[in-house]
Amino acid sequence: MIALENIALRQGSFELSNLSLELASGEYGVLMGRSGCGKTTLLEAVCGLRNIAGGRIILGGRDVTQLPPAERGVGYVPQDRALFPTMLVREQLAFALVLRALGQSEISARVDELAELLGITKLLDRTPDKLSGGEAQRVALGRALAHRPSVLCLDEPLSALDEELHGEMCRLLDRVHRETGVTILHITHSPSEARRLAGGHFRLVDGNVTRDE
Amino acid sequence: MSAPPPSGFHVASDKPFLVGLAVLGGSYLLIIGAMVLADLVFLNYSDQPVLGPEMVRQGRYTGDEVVVSVEPDRSYYFRKGNNEAGLQLGQQRIAGDGLFQAAGDRAVLLPHANNKPITASLRPEARVMQIAVTNQVATVTTDVVHGLLWGEFIRVSGAGEPGWNGVREITDTATNQLSFAVAGATVSVAKLSLSKPNPLVQALRSRDIRFSIKLSLISCTLTTLLSLWVAVPIGYMMSRFEFRGKPIIDTLLDIPIVLPPLVVGLSLLILFRYIPEWLSDAVVYKWPAVVLAQFMVACAFAVRTMRVTFDQIPQRFEQVALTLGCNRQQAFWRVIMPQAKGGLLAAGTLAWARALGEFGPILVFAGATRQKTEVLPTSAFLELQAGRTEGMLAVSLIMIAAAVVVFVIARTLGMKRIFA
Repeated sequence: MIALENIALRQGSFELSNLSLELASGEYGVLMGRSGCGKTTLLEAVCGLRNIAGGRIILGGRDVTQLPPAERGVGYVPQDRALFPTMLVREQLAFALVLRALGQSEISARVDELAELLGITKLLDRTPDKLSGGEAQRVALGRALAHRPSVLCLDEPLSALDEELHGEMCRLLDRVHRETGVTILHITHSPSEARRLAGGHFRLVDGNVTRDE
Repeated sequence: MSAPPPSGFHVASDKPFLVGLAVLGGSYLLIIGAMVLADLVFLNYSDQPVLGPEMVRQGRYTGDEVVVSVEPDRSYYFRKGNNEAGLQLGQQRIAGDGLFQAAGDRAVLLPHANNKPITASLRPEARVMQIAVTNQVATVTTDVVHGLLWGEFIRVSGAGEPGWNGVREITDTATNQLSFAVAGATVSVAKLSLSKPNPLVQALRSRDIRFSIKLSLISCTLTTLLSLWVAVPIGYMMSRFEFRGKPIIDTLLDIPIVLPPLVVGLSLLILFRYIPEWLSDAVVYKWPAVVLAQFMVACAFAVRTMRVTFDQIPQRFEQVALTLGCNRQQAFWRVIMPQAKGGLLAAGTLAWARALGEFGPILVFAGATRQKTEVLPTSAFLELQAGRTEGMLAVSLIMIAAAVVVFVIARTLGMKRIFA
């Protein structure tokens, strides 16, 4: 689950305060808002990449407000995906597992499992510059899921894809959600994209989050 | 629908613009290429004869014949000046520069015009008159003053005895004698011939210059390693963190770049007056001073390069790495440094090249002591001071070669990274 309690955020002249949001465990939450309204900032705060000026962040029942990003148990897929340019797809997927000092066999089993889930088995030995937009998105998703986080944060995961891939990626996200049971916070600026996705819909308007019923 | 009317609007041709770009860029490239080429062409790569004193009297052409008495059948070296067409010996006419065998005993200079200074040169080739060997040192007596100096090199050929032929260091000289070590019995005068090896061989054989090559290579490498050691953390810090006083630090980092290099050396020298004596004794005018002087300037360039490198790597990568379980240090080593390899290589190459060319601060802070603090630019300077332009050029060519080798290595490594 994700619970944001009275979060206050400051970034230069930009400010958000008293912001609250609650997402049940295993829920698929879509947060909508115009460009520049602070969606990405909020997502970064959840991941621990940005200090918050006040309030509490609770992920999976744990208060993580003071924890570093590594210990929050989140998977983060930024808008530009940020695949590590020097690593093979296989190494990207294994990255979080290597850091956790897992055994070789365990790591390769998990990598294969993820590749299977995301349909990227054939891409494992490629470098990111040899991937198409949709493929890169899948790899970024796989990298974020590898360490079985309780929360997955997706920043505009569909915005860079062409219309044709939209539907495919929506189905994939749905499948990932069903098979892993991870709580997903998906942010988008596009209401039409939000309508295609199941789950709880939120709007960030003028610094307030409201839940669409 | 009718066709759109002809607008009458024309855009000017792109040609002048493109030609302008090519001309402006090309002129610079041309100068770079010509500069290096001139060095390569200017140097005389062939051996030079050992010559006696000048035989042409200074003066002006007055209309009378300018005559130089020569020995028939002897070898002479003629160099045409600006005002001469050549040299006439009876039927024999010498039009170009070089050695020739005199056909008569009267050499007449052929001037272009009267009332101009005499600028030609005619010198006899030194002949070996006597050879004496004591304790494996050969002392060769020549019939004329040979002008060679102790520490220079001589090429011996035609000895017909093992242990004689080859390039030998002159260990002692008198006006018409020179000594060098040999490993063999004495040889006959008639066979032995002496010549001066080309400046490149002289330079590479010289113990002083060998030392300076070694010191240059070692100090530049040390400087590069030290520079990267410092440039990586500073570059990363300046690229990633915002803190109070950052603009001041930014300015400080540029000081070695904007200061005249000589002033950097002087400032170091003055700084070392204020530190414990044992430390300043160990550094000033010794080889550590060379490294420190090179480091002060080279490092500033490495810092700039590393900072730009890190600036070009988006912070997003670290952020993702942090969420995946890295701390900052792990993110730096696992995600950022692999991407910064190209920049690291560039910074290292730049620092190395800067260090190789550093002269002013070294002269002030480390001195120019042969076999002690002499690096290649110092050698070039000392050669120039001694009036040996060819020697200076030879040292310059060694530096060019060293720089080219390092650049090629860096480029090759860089390419590998790109094509891997």
